[in-house]
Amino acid sequence: MGALTDKYCIVGVGETPHMRPSNRTTLSMACEAVKKAMADAGLEPRDIDGMTSYQAGDSTTSNHIATSLGMRLNYSVDILGGGSSTEALIGNTIGLLEAGYCKTMVIFRSMNGRSGRRMGGQAPSGPVPPTRAAEDNQFMMPWGWTSPAQRFGMSAMRYLRDTGTTTRSLAEIAVAHRYHASLNPKAVMRHPITIEDHQNSRWVVKPLRLLDCCLETDVSACLIVTSRERAYDLRQPPVFIMGGTGRTMAPNAAWNYSRPEIHYVAGNYGRKRLFGMAGISQKDVNLISCYDAFTFTTLIQLEAYGFCGKGEAGEFVKGGRLQIDHELPSNLSGGHLSEGYTHGVSMVIENVRQLRHRADDACPGWAEGKHSYDRQAGCRQVKDARIAACLGWGTETMSSSAILRGISA
Amino acid sequence: MPGPIDYSKITITPDFDTVEWWMATKEHKYLVRQCKDCGHKWFPPFPACNTCNSMDLGWFETAGTGVLHSYIVVTQPILGAFVEAVPYVVGLIELDDCHEADGSLVRVGGVMLDDEEDVAIGLPVSVEYEQTNEANIVVPRWKISGTAENTWKFNE
Repeated sequence: MGALTDKYCIVGVGETPHMRPSNRTTLSMACEAVKKAMADAGLEPRDIDGMTSYQAGDSTTSNHIATSLGMRLNYSVDILGGGSSTEALIGNTIGLLEAGYCKTMVIFRSMNGRSGRRMGGQAPSGPVPPTRAAEDNQFMMPWGWTSPAQRFGMSAMRYLRDTGTTTRSLAEIAVAHRYHASLNPKAVMRHPITIEDHQNSRWVVKPLRLLDCCLETDVSACLIVTSRERAYDLRQPPVFIMGGTGRTMAPNAAWNYSRPEIHYVAGNYGRKRLFGMAGISQKDVNLISCYDAFTFTTLIQLEAYGFCGKGEAGEFVKGGRLQIDHELPSNLSGGHLSEGYTHGVSMVIENVRQLRHRADDACPGWAEGKHSYDRQAGCRQVKDARIAACLGWGTETMSSSAILRGISA
Repeated sequence: MPGPIDYSKITITPDFDTVEWWMATKEHKYLVRQCKDCGHKWFPPFPACNTCNSMDLGWFETAGTGVLHSYIVVTQPILGAFVEAVPYVVGLIELDDCHEADGSLVRVGGVMLDDEEDVAIGLPVSVEYEQTNEANIVVPRWKISGTAENTWKFNE
């Protein structure tokens, strides 16, 4: 167990609708997300005295939100980063709260991920200025090897070769996350898909097809973290942070490709620390968010975090195992593949809602925790949601994670 | 062979750590970093030896041969430079002469001159140099150079 296990809680969550495009500033969206998270928790601007965020040079910063909403912060730091940041900042936040730097802290990401800076690269239509290839990019961009799909595709291809896995296993992940999105009124892509739909979708970069790739959306999403003593007095059932890791690296982290196995990813190095700190095993986990920038990133992290053996993920995901009402439901909101793209915050938000037993689905009483568990009627609540693992991905060589529990666990 | 790559749409900016590497490609040499103290080799040319932490570094001129360790086939261009090139294969090449006793090895990327049909993991490859439409920039390309047993191809 960790010294601070269960001592800090996620007490508020909020987000803007996923839009393509938002026609708004990242500041405007972030203010809305923070307001919603405060309202969710039952907090006022004066109660928030810490704020942190991550971005890729594409977003507003904490001081602008504090000014807009009339907060005076005792701590604020905005960092650079993408998909391995949410859980890492949860870790930072616990340390800051414990040390007394502040009392109640906002974590946010705000991005015009579709209409502004696109992680997958801008479409090369019309006159574009020459792309600058500097630093590590000198040895990738001139070979036309730049986007996340192209980078991770290299590791995915070798994985398929080494393990005999086929892309039908990748399809299982796309189908499961889309099924969950069909139960999520907030999701961008809600029509269910089949394995054949995945197999028939166009190639983006072999071995990845369109339905292996996440969406790009304009959105802001926010978490609020405070001590359990404060959490008890707030509006929602508290969700306890049991443990986590922050941007854990594999060796040779800045050049994955000279490692003995390019698909032996960073989660392998964080796994024992994560479960050790939480004081539980993989068998205790009822649901996961497994970072789905691509189907492959979900697949490989199931191995890295020990939910199945090395090389076994392709078999593990078959038969709908990652779908609700099955053994290990994954990305209940639909994830980045089907709900929308937030660089990870939305996956943690969904786990919080699930652990509160308040998934915001079609059940009329969801806000009071009343669910029908009737999937035909649009219920998205996992029946026995007690412990959730959040498995973040930055690259093959960088991963963050957190384990959360609800009050019934 | 993939279509032409318009290198005028990429601005390569060599820096303190990499300028000698780019100068060497103009002389058709494929270099990797080598530690003058312990002999360790690596790439890209990070500025210290991650085995002994020496910063007294030189270069090792490789034979420019290797084995295809993995590859991708890009069908949707992301960069303006590659709009005419698709579909093209990016290879991950494990260099033949950078293996060390402790298992350390060097893999590098590059655009294959071969089409997808002719590429398979496990095949031997060798480097060729392409004078780009930018006078100052020569880029290494890679080409299948023979046959091998136990190769693997993505057949979907």
